[in-house]
Amino acid sequence: MHTDVQVRRPRGRLSLEDQRRIGDMLQRVYDEVVRQGVPDRFKDLLDQFDHPKNVGEAQARSTQGPAKGHHEPDRLVGAKASDNKGSRS
Amino acid sequence: MMRSSVRDPMLAAVPSLRAFAISLCGNVDRADDLVQETLLRAMANIDSFQPGTNMSAWLFTILRNLFRSEYRKRRREVEDTEGAYAESLKSHPEQHSRVEFDEFRAALAKLPPDQREALILVGASGFSYEEAAAICCCAVGTIKSRVHRARTRLSDLLSIEGTDDFGPDHATRAILSAGGRG
Repeated sequence: MHTDVQVRRPRGRLSLEDQRRIGDMLQRVYDEVVRQGVPDRFKDLLDQFDHPKNVGEAQARSTQGPAKGHHEPDRLVGAKASDNKGSRS
Repeated sequence: MMRSSVRDPMLAAVPSLRAFAISLCGNVDRADDLVQETLLRAMANIDSFQPGTNMSAWLFTILRNLFRSEYRKRRREVEDTEGAYAESLKSHPEQHSRVEFDEFRAALAKLPPDQREALILVGASGFSYEEAAAICCCAVGTIKSRVHRARTRLSDLLSIEGTDDFGPDHATRAILSAGGRG
């Protein structure tokens, strides 16, 4: 069955139906990523949290996963701890 | 020092962090780097996390700050949001709704970043307006306004451009409209 997305209407307030449709689609786009779960690189990284000495090693490993061609381990390792809150925003 | 009690909530937040990061970056690889950097930053600053508060919101805040300080410039250099976004998510839900799905994602990529971010935090990540305002360091009213404008813009994009401006999807739509033959 084909669900047509067209909603002909003048600009202005959104109907409840429009809002619901947009909400549903947004959730689907988002959930498609969420359903992928936790990639191994992050599990490996978090597994090192109880062993801080090994964190650097975990980073190196997690940036060498398959199908990842352009990672920059040096930049990641260089992440600083001093500006957690950020200075802009 | 890291404690096991924070590892699990961090792990649980990763899928949602990735979805948010992809919506910001428009690129899976870069988004995953951003998530990794976020976790490292969180780990290094875990003492500043207040137990009992929302771990997920804290991580989203860190991720957003990192993105704004480092990734935004880069993205401007490679302004291919739509293409990258489409490329980033190759799997699709059931066939019959694929066209609508792709059209929506393309429209989402066209939103101004501030509006897209607000819409996703509130409409998909499940944060309250207040939490989203805290994550974005702005007033609650600003978030509400951005979400409203994002929805209106999306609706306009989909209704105005839904038929003609989505290139290959047009052909796909025609095939589907013809009853799915071929």
